[in-house]
Order: sequence, then C-alpha cells, then structure tokens
Amino acid sequence: MDGWQPMLVLLGVVGAGLAALYGLGLWLAAARTPLEAGPFAGGLKPGEHAVSRFHVRWYPVTMIFLAFDMEMLFMYPWVKVVSEVGTTAVVEMFLFLGILFAAVAYAWREGALRWT
Amino acid sequence: MPENAPVWAIVVLPVALAVAAVVTAGFDAVLSGAAGRGHAGGIRRAGRRAATPVREALRLLVQQPRRTTAADRLLGRLGVVLVPVAAVLAGAVLPWGFRAVSDPSVGVVWFNAMEALAWAAVWLAGWGPNSALSLISGYRFLAQGLAYELPHMFALTTAALGAESLRVGDVVAAQEGVWFVVWMPVAFAAYLLSALAMAFWGPFAHPLARDAAGGAAAELAGVDRLVFLGGRWLLLVVTAGFSVPLFLGGGHGPLLPGWAWTLLKTAAVLALLVILRRALPVLRMERYMEAAWMVLVPLTLLQALFVAVVVLNR
Amino acid sequence: MDLRAFLRRTAMSRPAVLVVTLPGATRLRLEVEAELRRREWPVVGAPAAADLLVVCGDPAAQGAWPEWLDDIERSMPEPAARAVMGESARVGGALDAGRGEVTGRAVAPRGDGGRHEDRAAPSGDGHHRPADHAEHMDHAEHMDHHASHMDHQDHSPGGHMDHTGHMDHAGHDMHAMADIAGLPMAERADDRDELRLDRLHVPIGPGLTDWPTGLILRLALQGDVVQGVEVDHLPVPPAHRPPFWDEPWLRAARGEEVTRGGAARRRCAAHLDSAGRLLAVVGWDDVAAPFRRLRDELLAGASRTEVAGEVHRTVRRVGRSRVLRWSIAGLGRLPADTARAAGVSGPALAATGDAYDRLLMWLGEIERGLEVLDDTRPLAPDDRTGPRGRLDGPRPPSQALLDVLPDLLTGVEFACARIVVASLDPDLDELALAPVTGAAHA
Repeated sequence: MDGWQPMLVLLGVVGAGLAALYGLGLWLAAARTPLEAGPFAGGLKPGEHAVSRFHVRWYPVTMIFLAFDMEMLFMYPWVKVVSEVGTTAVVEMFLFLGILFAAVAYAWREGALRWT
Repeated sequence: MPENAPVWAIVVLPVALAVAAVVTAGFDAVLSGAAGRGHAGGIRRAGRRAATPVREALRLLVQQPRRTTAADRLLGRLGVVLVPVAAVLAGAVLPWGFRAVSDPSVGVVWFNAMEALAWAAVWLAGWGPNSALSLISGYRFLAQGLAYELPHMFALTTAALGAESLRVGDVVAAQEGVWFVVWMPVAFAAYLLSALAMAFWGPFAHPLARDAAGGAAAELAGVDRLVFLGGRWLLLVVTAGFSVPLFLGGGHGPLLPGWAWTLLKTAAVLALLVILRRALPVLRMERYMEAAWMVLVPLTLLQALFVAVVVLNR
Repeated sequence: MDLRAFLRRTAMSRPAVLVVTLPGATRLRLEVEAELRRREWPVVGAPAAADLLVVCGDPAAQGAWPEWLDDIERSMPEPAARAVMGESARVGGALDAGRGEVTGRAVAPRGDGGRHEDRAAPSGDGHHRPADHAEHMDHAEHMDHHASHMDHQDHSPGGHMDHTGHMDHAGHDMHAMADIAGLPMAERADDRDELRLDRLHVPIGPGLTDWPTGLILRLALQGDVVQGVEVDHLPVPPAHRPPFWDEPWLRAARGEEVTRGGAARRRCAAHLDSAGRLLAVVGWDDVAAPFRRLRDELLAGASRTEVAGEVHRTVRRVGRSRVLRWSIAGLGRLPADTARAAGVSGPALAATGDAYDRLLMWLGEIERGLEVLDDTRPLAPDDRTGPRGRLDGPRPPSQALLDVLPDLLTGVEFACARIVVASLDPDLDELALAPVTGAAHA
C-alpha cells in the first residue's frame, strides 16, 4: 500500500507549514501574550457560558441522514462490480435505494424536513 | 496507467494550492470591489484590489493572538487547523495532468473522507470559543452538511460508476473520448453545489455569516483567523479542482499538454463559481434542506440509475 | 529600515474597522461609511477581526461613559485603537489619526503587560476614556485563574439544574457556587414543546453591524431558537436637531422651505439604507454594496440622470431574484390589522405581509421617489409621512416598529430574527421625538 506513504509525508509538510505560519505570526505579532477577551454578541455580556446542550430542531433529519449515509457506503464497492455482476446488481441496488427514498418521502410528508 | 508524481511534488502541492487560493480570492476581491466601490477604472487600482488577500493575510499575521474566556482551546484550535489540513490531504489525489501525489485504489473515497472533516472542523471552531454566536454558527454547518452530503456522495459515486473504479486515475482515463459531464450533467451540477457547501463559501457561507458577526470565525483573530479563512479558500480550490478529473476529462484535451488542460479547466470552474456566487444570497438550511432532499437526492439518484444502465449495456 | 517594522507598517496601511454608531449619529455613520468605502479599508463585524474601533456619536451623551464600548475595545487584539467621531469631528482626519495610532502600536509594541491602560482616544474632539479600569483587569485575571476548572465542572449532572423559577434572572442572583470564570452555566427551561432544554440569555446589539443603531434585544435562546425577547435600547439623547431621516418633513412642518425633490431624495436614501442593510443581513453583498453606494451618491446631491440607471438596474435585479424570495418569504408576517393596532404606519403597514413584501415596498418607493427627484415645488406642510411612517401620530413610527418586535421574533431562529429586524429597520433616533416610554436603559 505505498499509495499512503505520500499522504503521511504530505501531512507532515502541511503540519510544518502551519507551524511555520504560527511562528511567523509570533515574530510579527504586535503582542505575543494572548489577549483574554469575553465573547462578542454586540458588546453586552451574556448571561451564561455559551457551551451548553444545544437544541437542534433538525434532529429527525440527522436520523434519516444516518440511515441513508450508511447505505451510501455499500455503493462504493458496488460501482466496481456493476458490469461483472450484471443486471441483478443494478436492480438490487436501486430497489434498495427506492425503498430508502420512500422512507424519506414519508418523513418529508410528516414534516421532518422542516423545523420552523 | 497513471502513476504517482515524484517526491518533490509533495512539497509543491500545498504551495500550488495556496497560490491558487490567493489568486481566486484576489479575483473575488476585484469583483466585490467593483460591486461595492464602482469599477476600478485602471489597472493599478484593480491590481491593488487583487492584492487584498495578501494584505489581509499580512494584517492578520501582525495581530495579537486572542482567546475567549473559558474557551475550549484544544477543540477550537483543532477545528481551525483541520480546515487547511483536510483541504490539502484531499488535494493529494488531485491529478495534475495525469499524475497525482498519490493515486490509491480508493482515491474517490479518500477525497470524500477528507472533505467530510470539514464537518468536524467548522463545528469545533464554532464550539471552541464559548461564544453564543459562534456556537449557533457551528451548528449551522452541521445542518448544512445534512443537506449537501448525500447529493454530493451520489455525484461522486456516479462518476466512479462511469469508470467502474474508485481510482481517480481510472476515472480520468475513462474520459478519454467523452467527458463525463456530457452524460452526467445533473451529477456535475450537484457536485458543484456541494463543493460550495463543503467549502462553506458563497451562497453556502451561512456558518460564517455577517448576521452572526462572522459566525464560527467571529472570535478568531490573528494567525488562527488566517488559517481558518485561508483554509476555506484552499478547500474551495480543492473541491472545485476535483470536478475536473471527475467530470471534465482531467488532463484530456487537444494540443496542450495534460497539466495545462488541468490548470485551464480548474481556473474555468473557479472563475465560474466566483462569478455565479454574485447572483445569489446566502441560503439558509431551514429552507434549503427540503429542496436538497426532495429535489437533489432524487435527481442524482435518477442520474446514477441512468449511468448504471449505460454501463450495463456498454 | 528593519524588515519587521516595514511589514508591520505595511500591514496596518489599511486597518480593519469596526464601526459602532450611537443614537443620534446617523449623519456621522453615513459620512464614515462613505469615507471608508473611498479608502477601501476593510470593514469587519467583530472586535476579534478589527484593528480600529470607530465610534460614531458622542459617548459622553450616553450619560455615563458606556462600559460596553470599553468592553468591545478591550476585546480587540493588538494593535488596536479607537477613533471617536464627535459631532464636530472631521471624519477623514480622525481616521488618519486612528490609523496613525494603530501603526504606532504595531511598529513599537509596548510590551505585553497592562496593554489597555495607556490606550488613549485618538479622537477628533478629545474624549478621554476613564482611567480607572483597574478593577476590570483584576476581573480578567480572576477569569483566567478559573478557566482551568471549566472542564471539570462542565456537565456535572444534577446540582444546579433545577431552578426553573430563576430562569429569567440567571446571571444576576446566582453568583455564589455555580459560576465558572464569573459566569454561570446554562440552565434548563421549557421550550415551546415543553421539552426541558438548556436556555442561554444573550443580549445582542448595539455593536453589531447591519443592525439598527442603538437597538438591544435581550434574547433567551434554546439552540438557535429565540424563545423570549425583551426589546431595549441605548439611551437616546434629546436631540437638538431632528432625526436625520425625518429631517425634510419635520423642517417643512416648522414652516421652513423644503422642496418635494429634496424630501424624495431623503426618502430614497433612507430606503436604500434599509434595503442595503436587509440585503447585507441576508448575505447578498453584491446588491447590498451598490445600494449603499447609491445612497451616498444621492445624499451627496447626485442628479437623477446620474443615479437612475443603476438604481433601476439594481432594484430590478433584487426584484427578479426567485432565490431571495424563496429565502425570506414568510418571515415576520405582519398583517395590516395587527400593524394598525400597534400604531405602525408607512411601508411596514402598506406592505401588509412578510419581510419580502416590505423589501418590495421599499424598492417601489425608491423607484417612485426617483421620478420626483427634480421637483422643486415646496413640500406641503401637512405632508408628515417620513420614510418609516407618519410623524404626526401620538408616537414616533419607529416606536411602533419596536413594539411589534417581540411577537414577531418569539419562536423563530436567530438568523430569521435578524432578517425580521432588518426588514422593519426601526430608526431609534426617532424616539427623541417624543417622551420615551417603558424602556429600561442598558
């Protein structure tokens, strides 16, 4: 698997480049000690720390996405064998996709893709 | 058969991508300047506007580092650094002509995996500073990911299906006669949309929007800001550039050598995106989500079905 | 010259500017925006990105020197400076002085210790900031000290999570044990579906860009959903001149000579300003920027032939955009009867619809106004309809716009809330027209 060695080297090169950039920043910065500042929302202080359990109202979409995304992973190996396996590969895959999309359409009708 | 580029290309790649990012950002600055301040009316003035990204980078290098109260510095910094790292690593499989830094047998999947790091990157950068507006904006990107990722993956799969290979070199080789864009126009369009979305740029810049004072980047200063925003331009260059081997025939073309065709096509795609961006406001996922799932997903599915049938009868 | 100093000087040749406007300083804001555009200095929306804080208006007129202004300045990384544009300040000169100060601080850093104590106001009219900030510095160190405990106390279950009754006062009366770095963690409260979820109290404004001058919204956020809104604003000092956007009509009412063309010019500029702001919030800079440029050209006295072509082109471009319509239609719906009951008059009433309808109403009035730009007949003294509504009502039109905000903003997402505010664009300068009612001060 020598295809991956260049990736590792590349990661090293990028890391070195970023380190050099931060170094250059230290050399040029008008002040090196980091400034400690409050969060900005227009100038006034917030009531609490922002880190909190964030309420996402598109939560149902994440569930649908997970189901569909897992399925996508099958499609990657599938593309390599389509003509080898023949018509059954295509029929099976698109039946599967069709069933999944029927579920998405149902979720859509139930309003899962809107949240406001 | 495509082969790996020489070792020095590993050092050249990040530099070349950075240069491309600066040029693209400069072109964008010239167009923005013309909209906001009237036409430059002179080469020198236009040149000064084109130099905006360089000047901005220098300005950020001079800024003091900054952090917010009780910030999650580890995760925040990780998110910032992840953007350029993901962009360049995804760029490793970009063929320059017919040779890439690396051309693994699952190059398309590698690209997909790297650009998916943007999910983590933007969310972490939004979470890190412990600031309400950047937190909101980090989550905006997650919603965006839910909307763009599936059509994007279907577009990738469709191109790979056309070549019956996940190796980028094979995808390019399969386009020696007819470019994929000719018989996969829908996949190409969906790919370009998702390229903008994963680079959280242009009409998909909601995670960094002005209404949240700069969103996930609101609390970033100095080199952090430079790395994050510069990484975003890198990501745009890489994702737009990857449409060339996927759909536009890679290095194939008459007369000119392969590397020149790659360069020309990449520049054309980037110019197209920078110009088209001007026609659109920023899209909010609250509206876009439905369109992505109920229009883009079925369309790309039909496109994949069409390609599969063609492949069977070839 | 040494390389480092040269690079630092070059970097600050165009400092990034954060513009903060105080009530009553609309004219100054417009001057500053035009001048910044002419100089092509980058304009940013957050202190982290800024080098130069430009304050339009007189901070001393706010009663006490506003602490939030100092907070914004303190959260700007070095090199940083402030330029205060007082009533009499020359904008160009003050900007030059500000840049000089920024460059000086970049080239000759003053050590990293007490950075903010010696930062004087490089203003045109010499307001010096209060010197006694020692207590804030101590506070910052206190925060620093406690920051490391953060991770351990973060999501500890139970504990202080069950004080629903205190929700609206979190941050005031809970100082004792739950605080981390001077602030409590979020507590839970019911949302609209009666789910118990973390709730944040975030006051937004008055330092935001593309935001009505002086407006403060105290939001209760669950996720990015606005669960509760309290409308507040900076003190609006009693003005010795009428609100900028209403000037022609108020002067005509006092019996002064005002032409119809002059009034139409002001109305067009006001709507271009509002529409530019809304389009900037929507994220369409490519039309927001020309709107602002045309606004300044109109105010500078450009003739109809000079601007009409580009105004029509840009207005058509906005009106034709289906994506824009799809994106903001349905936000902030304000039916006519609700609007009338709240005392709203002007475009927001006439539009009888959502944010998109109000935008179209502005665009229509801009195009109609251009037709009468050269009308030299005097304005009828009983014409009291300013850009935001009738000026002879019991309350200023913008007060009514503020009054409808809580109903329109409750339950919408943060991004939509910003769009709704921008689509109403209340002008707080108008509050000086009548006694201000029911507004607590920041």
